[in-house]
Formats: sequence, structure tokens, C-alpha cells
Amino acid sequence: MPQASTDTDLTTCDSEPIRTPGSIQPHGFLLALSPQLEVLQVSDNLADFTGIPPEKALGRPLADVIGARSAQALEHNLRGGQLRERPAYIATVGLEGEPFDVLAHAYDHLLVLEFERARGTIEAGIQQLYPLVGDFLNKISDADTIVELCQLAASEIRALTGFGRVLVYCFDEEGHGNVLAECLGEGYDGYLGQRFPASDIPRQARELYLANRIRLIQDADYQPSRLVPAENPLTGKPNDLSFASLRSVSPIHLQYMRNMGTMASMSVSLIVKDKLWGLISCHHTEARHLSFHQRSVCEQLGQILALRIRNRADADQMQFRLEVRRVMVNLLGGLTQGADFIENLRSVLPELLRFARAGGVAIVVDDRLISYGHTPDDDQIRGLVDWLSANVHEDLFHSDRLGTVYPEAAAYTASASGLMAMQISRIHQHYLLWFRPEVVYSIDWAGRPEKMEKSPGMLSPRTSFTSWREAIHGTSAPWHEGELELALEFRTALLGIALERAEQMADLAEELGRANKELEAFSYSVSHDLRAPLRHIVGFSDLLMETAGSDNPERRQRFLVNIKESARLAGKLVDDLLSFSQMGRAALRPVRVRMDDLVRGCIEKLAPDTLARRIDWQVSPLPVIVADPSFLQLALYNLLSNAVKFTAQSDPAVIRVTSEQLPGEIVFHVADNGVGFNMDYAHKLFGVFQRLHRMEDFQGTGIGLANVRRIVERHGGRVWARSAPGEGATFSFALPTNINTNTDKV
Amino acid sequence: MLKPILLVEDNPHDLELTLIALERSQLANEVIVVRDGADALDYLHARGSFANREQGNPAVVLLDLKLPKVDGLEVLAEIRGSATLKSIPVVMLTSSREEQDLIRSYELGVNAYVVKPVDFQEFVRAIADLGIFWAVLNEPPPGSHRYVKPQ
Repeated sequence: MPQASTDTDLTTCDSEPIRTPGSIQPHGFLLALSPQLEVLQVSDNLADFTGIPPEKALGRPLADVIGARSAQALEHNLRGGQLRERPAYIATVGLEGEPFDVLAHAYDHLLVLEFERARGTIEAGIQQLYPLVGDFLNKISDADTIVELCQLAASEIRALTGFGRVLVYCFDEEGHGNVLAECLGEGYDGYLGQRFPASDIPRQARELYLANRIRLIQDADYQPSRLVPAENPLTGKPNDLSFASLRSVSPIHLQYMRNMGTMASMSVSLIVKDKLWGLISCHHTEARHLSFHQRSVCEQLGQILALRIRNRADADQMQFRLEVRRVMVNLLGGLTQGADFIENLRSVLPELLRFARAGGVAIVVDDRLISYGHTPDDDQIRGLVDWLSANVHEDLFHSDRLGTVYPEAAAYTASASGLMAMQISRIHQHYLLWFRPEVVYSIDWAGRPEKMEKSPGMLSPRTSFTSWREAIHGTSAPWHEGELELALEFRTALLGIALERAEQMADLAEELGRANKELEAFSYSVSHDLRAPLRHIVGFSDLLMETAGSDNPERRQRFLVNIKESARLAGKLVDDLLSFSQMGRAALRPVRVRMDDLVRGCIEKLAPDTLARRIDWQVSPLPVIVADPSFLQLALYNLLSNAVKFTAQSDPAVIRVTSEQLPGEIVFHVADNGVGFNMDYAHKLFGVFQRLHRMEDFQGTGIGLANVRRIVERHGGRVWARSAPGEGATFSFALPTNINTNTDKV
Repeated sequence: MLKPILLVEDNPHDLELTLIALERSQLANEVIVVRDGADALDYLHARGSFANREQGNPAVVLLDLKLPKVDGLEVLAEIRGSATLKSIPVVMLTSSREEQDLIRSYELGVNAYVVKPVDFQEFVRAIADLGIFWAVLNEPPPGSHRYVKPQ
């Protein structure tokens, strides 16, 4: 593993003070000013450009150092606080007869002016440079892949700057730079497809690349020019030169460049979503000068490239997610099919594999284990699950080198170098495991990935840049962020299904509980109410036999009548019970029903029983509703025949049927002027075989109102009754306006 | 002299059969019949239509389980909850041996629970035994009113 050896070296480089080197590259000079434009610090090469020794410049107004005309040209831009921390070009001024570009930035409490010779190695004015940007934009919008984009950028930058080698590379998760594209001049070695070790660019250099997007080293052989005085006079600390164009770089880096045979280099940061995605890295075998404008254009090209990479990556990511989500939708569809969750999972095993682009998948639910595809054996999987439940507490665990965190996995790297484990339940040992096989691959390192080579007595950067091939074992294809996010999404959906199932089970249990209660009531009724008439038949038959031959024919006659009545009652009880139980099972078929018609039908059906009676039917106009007509007619018939029955002593009987619309429901009332009932017993009215009157007073088995309640409740409605003894009764039922046609309820 | 037996029965056929059985047991006790639970309580509390009945509690209450308005278990509960009625012997007479009824009845403090036999001879015997035991052999709790039949 290359990491082990490089980590230590990285920390060595991490401590280099790259932001505060205390010196600059000597191809230009630096003046640090107070807000009053008094010179507070200078680079010690000042005299090379202006003829003024540093100590003579300190404490003087700017004009005294660069001349009144030049100072005047700059002053306007230096006052008024427009300067930012990134250097801005403010003017070109003449010094000792030579034009200098002046860059200014405000940072670390100072106004920092940097003067660079305006002429670059390649003559390029603004007029020539900016059309290049437009041209690049056109070309780059046609490119389809990230590699193509990078290739275009490499060619463009080489054309623009004349660097002999332009590489575009991106950093992988471990920080190694993979060369995606290059453009080479004659005599330059290619690095395409090779990998630069992460140790080549220390952590703090990466941070600086994020802040300052371009860096140029014109001549690796330069002798740094120190700042005078050495520390920022306003802070008393070494100057922070993070944003200075002329900032001097680490001597280790210069040695690295010389080892590589590179005398000039430029790096342009590729920043995608606030992260250092990669670099455009330019090398040249000789010293090379680029003007500020050339560098600016390179920086812009870098920004354009980064933007396009981001779009492309987003689009690729989107495409990828779309595909995975499509698989997931299929999966979830399959999972909701049957009753057994595990069996459902078993039916979608191929999709489960495809979902995570895995080689094998295993489902572990307590003692059950289902595996599919290329997986470790059952015992190994159980061992892994035990390890997971003891050591991993996140919902999702992943590794593309399982053997490094769980040594036992080294035994089955072939099938499971990669693992994504999803915990389905936090309480039980329920896991979904995806395995990815080992992918043995080789890395072409651009030199052995050890930056520091120990030469006696001192640390020195690596000297070998010849390609070195390394074979990597025990790793799988990496799990991408998108895959992990979708896996979490999948988990949420799974839990949703599980939850829904739990609710269904609860509903079912409730439903069963209700059915069971009715069944209990049913059997209770059978044991009580059906036994009674049978016992009576036996009893009166015995009595009849005893009295055989006796001379009491009236008595015998009454016994016979009793036997007949009991037999008839037993038959009716059986019928009623059966109809009641059927009512619970038969499916409702709701349609639009005219209540007027139903009521009229019932009254006609009652006519034979009421011939001898005076009944004043008062039926208000009734609405059309949605309900099962045959069930509802039965309920209505029960209510109306009850009203007829309990008004037997009223003359005339008055039976009124009315309705009222309430929010969300329609209520129907059947009111009579009959014997009524005591409200104390109202709660018993609608129970099976409950009676409030003596049998010989009013006929019936006591099932009518139970039927009414059952029918109305199956329509999602409710029933109730109001009365006072002797003052008649009003039976009411409400049906919801939107009937939930739950037809398969028990 | 003898306290009456209170028979609470709504079913006319059951009533007829029970009365025949009691008649055959040749008990001297008067049998008072009420047809539902509400009437039974009115009788026991000597209220409503029974406000003017003779003083005193019955020797035993033969109570059907399923009754209109107030069922047998409710009557039993009220008897056991009342200071003046709680010591009256109560016998549940019922059609079936439903466990829930048995449990409830004993929880409420029933003195006996009798499933009416289907065979009439057995039924007669059962009723006679009940009558003799509760109305004759059983010594009522001390302090309970002696029923004095008006001369």
C-alpha cells in the first residue's frame, strides 16, 4: 500500500510555511504601503528595478520610490478601498524606461503593489487574448466527456502560453492526481493515464490552491528576494503572501521541479463545488515569463473548464441516478406484491444486484439468510453481520477494501473486497448486504509515490519520475456518493413499505378482532338462544307423553302449540343468524340509490301485515345517495317494520321518514308514536338478540336492529335511537356522503 | 311462614316448564314471577308496581341470564351491591355453560349456577333440588327478615 509510506512525508511538507515565505520571486518587486500610501516594506531587489536601495524607500511616500508620474497613475486606484484580496491589474507604468504591469491587492492590513515586466516570453496583448476565451467557450461546449473537455483546455493553454507540457489532472478520493489529458511540445515526456502521488502536493498547498487559483514559477533557479523589514510592520508577524503573484515557493518544490527537469511551471486550480477537483499543470524546460494578462486568461480558461466539468459531472450524476432510481422503482414495485417481506425480497434479487452494481447480495433477517450471486459463504456472512452489528452503528456502511477494516474478510476478497451494508432494523439483526468483487488493477505512478527520498543528512524531494507500476489487491470498484445516497433513499422506502405493512397488519388485526367479536356474539347467541327452543320442544314433548291418555285435551293442545312455536322460533333464529353472518361477508356494491323508491318499496312489502291497521305514513322527499341498494333496503325494512310492530296499540299509527344533510353525511330518521323504550337500555338496542320487550308482547328474534347497525356501519355510517316510554321512538342512521367502498371487509 | 321464591324469567315456555317443575317439587313456598330484570329489581327493592308488597326478602332468586332491559348479571350485581339485598341466595338458571357467563357470575357472587337440562325429567329434578335446598334446607343468614305469610 503506498499510503503508509507517504503519510509521514506529507506531514513534513505540511509544516512548510508556504503562505509566509518572507520573500518573493525576483522577476518583479514588491512594495507594501500603508493606507496613506507610505512605503512600509519593500523587496530587497528594489534597487535592481528603481535604483533606490530598500532602506532609502522605507517610510517614504510612494512617489518618492517610483516617481511622481507613476505614483499619480496608481494613486486613484489605491485610494477609496476598492482593492480586494485577489490582485487586480491597475496600470502599466514606466520605470527606468521600461513598462511594468502593476498588480495591487489589499491583504494582511497592507496595500501590496507588485511590479512585473509587462512583456512576456510570448507577446500577447489584451486584444489577442480575449478572443481566445470566446473561441474556447465555443469549442468546449461541443465536448461530450470530461476527458474531451480537459483535452481541449490543455491544447488551448499550451497554445496560449507556449509551455512545453500541459497536463490536466484530477484528484481521486485519496488525493492522488490522475492525468486525464495532456498537450506536449516536442521532446516532452507524456504522463497521460499516470498517477501523481498525493504527497506531491501537500495539504496546505492544496488549501492555497483553493484560495489563489493560479501560481507561476518563472525560473526554478531563482534566488528569492527577501522582504525588508522581514515582518509586516503593522502586525509584527511574517507577511501573509497567500495572494501575492510573486510569492516565493518552497525550496523543496523548487528542488522537485529541478529533479523533474522543469524550470518554469504554472498551476491553474480547477475548483468544482468549492473543492479542488484538479489542476492544469504546465511545465517548461526553460525559464518562462508570462504577463499578468496571459495568466488571467489562463485562470479564466480554468474557471470555464471547471464550470463545464461541474455541469458534465452533474449531468452524468443525474443520468446515473436516474438509472438507479429506475431500478429502485422496479424493486419497490416487486416488494409490495406479496405478504411475506422476505419472500418479496427474494423475488427481486437480480434487481437488488443491479441496483448497487454489485456481484452478490445477501439478505439477513435474524436467522434467515438468503444470498444471491457471488458472495462469501453463509458462515462468513453471519460472521460479517455479527461484526457489523457490534461495530457499525450507521444505517449504511461501505468499504471498497473490506479486508483493511475487517481482517476476516481477507479470506474472501475475491467475492467481497467491497461491501455496502444496510441496516434495515436498528433493533433486530436485519441487514441487506451488497458485495463487490476484487478488482486487481495496476497504477502507473509517475514515479514512486515517495516524495521524500532520504539523502544523507537532509530531506530531498523525489528524483525519479520514471513510470512505476503498482498492482493493487483487495479492493473493489469504489462506492460512489450517488450510490450511497440512493441506497439510503432505498432504505427509507423499504422502511416505508415495512411501516405500511405494519399498518396493514394492524388494520387486519383490528378487522379480525371485530370479526372475532361478532363471531363470539354469534356463538354466544347460538348457545343461548338456539338451545332454549330445543329444550322447550323436548320439555313439552315429555309432558305431552306423560299426559297421554289423560283427559285434559286443552293442556295437551297447549303443549303441542308450544312445541310448534318453539320449532318455528328455532328455525327463524337459525335463518336470522345466517343472514346476519352473511351480511358481514357479502361485498357491498354501492350505486346511486333513490331513497324515495327504497322507502316506498318497504311500505308496499309491509302492506299485508298492516291491512287491519290505520297507519299514517309521512314520508318527506328523500335524496339520492350512494349505497348498496339491497343491503340498505333490508336496513330500512327492519326499521320500518319495527315502527309498525311497536305502534300496534297506537291508532292511528304515525310513522315519519325524514332526512337531513349534515356536513359530510346524510342522516335519515324513522320516527313513530309507538310504545317507545327506556333510554337506560338504549345501548343494548343494536346488539344481537337483545330484546327490550317480552316475547309475547312483541314478536321477533331480536336481530333486526343488529342487522341495521351492521349494514350502516359497513357503509361507514352510524346508528342511534331516541325515545321515552310511551312517547314513541326515533331511529336514525347517518351515511357518509363519500362512501368508502371498502368491499372486502370481513 | 315460608319466604317466597322469586323466579325471573322472560321466556313464556321456560316459565311454563319451570312452574310445572316447581309445582311437582311440592314446595310450600309461594313463587313470585317477574318477566324481566327491571321488574325483578323493582320487586326486590319493593318499589314501582311492587311498592305495596309484603316486607321481606325472598328465600332464593332463580334468575335467568338473558333478560330484556336489565340482564341477569346486572340484576345479580345490583343485589350484591345493595346493603339490604346482598345476602339473598341467587341461583343463575341458564341455557348454556358459556365460560364467560360462569366466570362473571361467580365473580359477582352467585350462589349456584345451573344449566337447564334438556331432558325434562332431569329439569324437573334439578328445579326440585334447587327449591328444596335453598328454600327449605338452607339456613338463611342471621338477621334477615322472616317472611310472614299474611293470615
